[in-house]
Amino acid sequence: MTVLELRGVSKVYGEGSAQVHALREVSLSVGEGQLVAVMGPSGSGKSTLLTIAGTLEEPTSGDVLIAGEPVSGMGRDDRARIRRRCLGYVFQDFNLLAGLTVAENVSLPLELDGMPARSAVQCGLRALDELGLRGRAGSFPDELSGGERQRVAIARAVVGDRRLLLADEPSGALDSANGEAVMRLIRAACRRGVAGVVVTHDAQLASWADRVVFLRDGRIVDQTVPASGPESLLTPNP
Amino acid sequence: MSAILSERPAPVEARSGGGRPARRAVARWGWRLFRREWRRHLLVLSMLTLAVAATIVGLGTATNATKLKADPTFGTANTIVTLSGSNQRLAADIAALRAKAGPLDVVAHQQLAIPGSVASIDIRDQAPGGTFDRVTLRLDAGSYPAGPGEVALTSGLARQFDLKIGSTWTAGGTSRRVVGIVENPLNLLDEFALVAPGQARPPTTVSIFTSWHPGPGRGLGVSLNGSVSSRGPQHSGAADALVLALGTIGLLFVGLMAVAGFTVMAQRHQRALGMLSSLGATDRQVRLVMLADGAAVGALGALAGGVIGVGAWLAFVPTLQATSGHRIDRFGLPWWAVGVSLVLAVLTALIAAWWPARAITKASVIAAFAGRPSPPRSVRRFSAVGAVLVAGGLALLYFSDHGSDHTRPPFIVLGALVTPIGLLFLAPLAIRVLAAAAARTGVAVRLALRDLVRYQARSGAALGSITLALAITATIAVSSAASSTPDPVGNLAPDQLMMYVTPDTSAGQVPPLSAPQLGAVTGRLDQLARAIHATMVPLEQAYSPAAGLQPPISGPGGRTIPAGYPVASLAKVTIRPRGVEISGGFDPLYVATPALLAHYGISPSAVSSGADILTARSDLAGRKLFALQSPVGPGTANGGPPKVADVTPTLQHLTQLPRYSSAPGSLLTTAALQRLGLTALPGAWLVQAAHPLTGQQIHTAQAAAAGLGLYVEARTATKSSAALRNWSTAVGVLLALGVLGMTVGLIRSETAGALRILAAAGAGSATRRTITGATSGALALLGALLGTAGAYAALLVWYRSDLSPLGRVPVVNLVLIVAGLPLLASGGGWLLAGREPPAIARRPLD
Repeated sequence: MTVLELRGVSKVYGEGSAQVHALREVSLSVGEGQLVAVMGPSGSGKSTLLTIAGTLEEPTSGDVLIAGEPVSGMGRDDRARIRRRCLGYVFQDFNLLAGLTVAENVSLPLELDGMPARSAVQCGLRALDELGLRGRAGSFPDELSGGERQRVAIARAVVGDRRLLLADEPSGALDSANGEAVMRLIRAACRRGVAGVVVTHDAQLASWADRVVFLRDGRIVDQTVPASGPESLLTPNP
Repeated sequence: MSAILSERPAPVEARSGGGRPARRAVARWGWRLFRREWRRHLLVLSMLTLAVAATIVGLGTATNATKLKADPTFGTANTIVTLSGSNQRLAADIAALRAKAGPLDVVAHQQLAIPGSVASIDIRDQAPGGTFDRVTLRLDAGSYPAGPGEVALTSGLARQFDLKIGSTWTAGGTSRRVVGIVENPLNLLDEFALVAPGQARPPTTVSIFTSWHPGPGRGLGVSLNGSVSSRGPQHSGAADALVLALGTIGLLFVGLMAVAGFTVMAQRHQRALGMLSSLGATDRQVRLVMLADGAAVGALGALAGGVIGVGAWLAFVPTLQATSGHRIDRFGLPWWAVGVSLVLAVLTALIAAWWPARAITKASVIAAFAGRPSPPRSVRRFSAVGAVLVAGGLALLYFSDHGSDHTRPPFIVLGALVTPIGLLFLAPLAIRVLAAAAARTGVAVRLALRDLVRYQARSGAALGSITLALAITATIAVSSAASSTPDPVGNLAPDQLMMYVTPDTSAGQVPPLSAPQLGAVTGRLDQLARAIHATMVPLEQAYSPAAGLQPPISGPGGRTIPAGYPVASLAKVTIRPRGVEISGGFDPLYVATPALLAHYGISPSAVSSGADILTARSDLAGRKLFALQSPVGPGTANGGPPKVADVTPTLQHLTQLPRYSSAPGSLLTTAALQRLGLTALPGAWLVQAAHPLTGQQIHTAQAAAAGLGLYVEARTATKSSAALRNWSTAVGVLLALGVLGMTVGLIRSETAGALRILAAAGAGSATRRTITGATSGALALLGALLGTAGAYAALLVWYRSDLSPLGRVPVVNLVLIVAGLPLLASGGGWLLAGREPPAIARRPLD
């Protein structure tokens, strides 16, 4: 089943001579359990594609469907609901809320969706348990290492019934070992049925994906299926 | 891991907003933010606290200083009938009044002259607990006098005569034991000696207090040998308006500062709020974070401000009592208004937090992530709204004055509120105008001013609060200068004494001194001058020998003005068939002797030969040089008017002379003396000490004067509004600097990227310092100009019927506001800036 579908999506910023075509007629579909890596040079439209896919921005033209539901024309609150229930974001800068503990950060999307705090925290704790961070549940983000913070961000992105995981340079602020560990976690989530889109500059990390999409000047110029590589190193969950 | 995907429970709240759990989660984060970053809130919190405290003190001051339920003279009576103490039908008149008007309070006054002083003592026979006058009498210590040999004094009199409870006081040939200290709580300057009922004998006058009020065309219906005075209209509405206006302006100021502060906080949390949106928080939930923050700050600020305000009020009461001249009830705060102001402070903080939260939710999540400010809105619409509001506010103030004695409180409140709000709307335009004007300045100043335009939401709110603070400050400074007396010195300087040969200078006649008397007086006064380290300047007055010696006359306070020569004066004079009418503006004239001119540092050659009068005053037009040149009274020839020297004098203005004081300020030149055929005679002596005279020195002078048959006048008025002006200026400048400190730092920190570029291009710390200095200086200058202009616009409307008081400009205060503050702000910004911008590319999520 297709979780994310972009149909002829274009995005134009500015007006007149200052007009910039960030995306041009981009079509892309990501199915359940599929991991797609988006690569391309700076200014090619990678991040714009991700923000449009994540309902953070609206396309100038074209359609975005998430779990078969068209996002275009939805109000702000409806798009917020989609973000709460269907998709999770992982940012390069982690973007954890400094005022909340690790457990509260992870359970925040559930609480925002109306789940009672105690139940939400229980779900969050289970998510942290899976990622080996149960022991840091009461810590605040500024007490964690970079790798730990990104793992918390992944836990937050996948907690609950999320079906789409969007990651913008998730290993950009990490060393290679932590970067690879993060990709391993994302890949593991996709194995359980989550559709994933990862923007990265790193070809080695992109090789974790089922498919790599190359963007240049807002257009998809190539799509490849990488040879089995680092994924083979993925060890099954104990 | 499978649990993550499969175990998500169904949401309890079906609504898209997430319901109570979501609100709780978001509010929890808001509260945590407040707890983690309370230091960043400290400035907003302290300003909010200060504003609430100031509002409470202002409310207390306005209520207690202006809103008196009782009158210091009338008490709660409407009418006072004053009968002469020598009236043979006194008891019958009082009985007739009682029959006509109902309950009465009868107070007898006996005026006793103080030996050696122009002043007299009021021996007052007033029963404590009277129906109408009880509010004008209070026992501070001891007991009320109960018998013939007892008296209770006001503290001023006790101090003057060095008496305390248990002392014996002899006055008017009667010795009494001091049994208590009393006061008129509604007029602490009312000095009197209270005796037991029936002991002010013989009374000089008898005051009868009654609730009866003479309406239009209503007579008393009783034939009395006395005067009737009624209480004028009570302007409690104006006092209410003042209280309300103060409260509303105070809260507006609180709101503006809070908007500036929360805009700062919203900008700091912009990325975090964007992240919250990316997690699926609705706009309402994002706003709730800021609202929770606002509620915490508002509640804490209101609580702290309330406690500090009430404490400050309690500490301020003694000062206010001394200033207002009446006893203040410490707990006489308008508690309802205090409570409302606290609630409104919380609401104001909430609204102030909501405003920037709304702006953030209107921006895209991506813009929030990038920390980009919203593009500045068009100033045209803002300016139009601002112009309309200012015009409307001024119109409201114009129409608030409804006739001579009526004001419309709602108009005052609305006008005072709408005018500054209008100024706020003009703030963005002012910033743009200044930025445009600075187009040819150096890059640092240009960049600073353009950043003010870019970050308009922040700079506009900051400029608004600075403008309002300085508008209030300028209004206080200008209006207090306008309402002050032209010469703030009072009747005399603290280092001066006047010694007269007559107990009442306004009687216009001066008894002559024989040569031996004059010799004795001069010798004794020389001794006195040496004793108190002072110089003595003899003062002469002028009279026409043809007028002859006038008989003794009765003066105020039961004094007798001895026989003397009618002396020349400046007055508004009308000659009537049956006599001379002096309609006002009576000023005694002293002869411009060489000694007196030397005292003022005026060379005799500086006096024009054609001048009649030397003066520093500019308001003597229409006055005539008036001197009797024939006897008055039954002996007047043909019963017609007396012959007078009725001359329109030639004035010469000399600024060295004093104005509006008892010291000789209008001098008759010796040339005029000769032209008019007048003769000089000793009228007084001016004692000029090197330092302010002590009470003991004044007492010594009074004792000496009593022995010589002279009368002393010392400084009595010391009150000046200069202290109020200066304090309000200092507070206004400090508030403005606080707002600047809060906002300029943020505006500059947001442009850290630009600073890094400048640093990379070779700009040093001087450039960074100039940018920060120009930012704060520009905001301060604009706030000062807008605030002062707004204050003058409102006061021009208020004083429209007579603009002359506005001619008294508080130059020092205005220079401090318009020039001092911008310089201080620029200097402070320059000194505090200059640190190398951080090289970290990534910013932590606040």
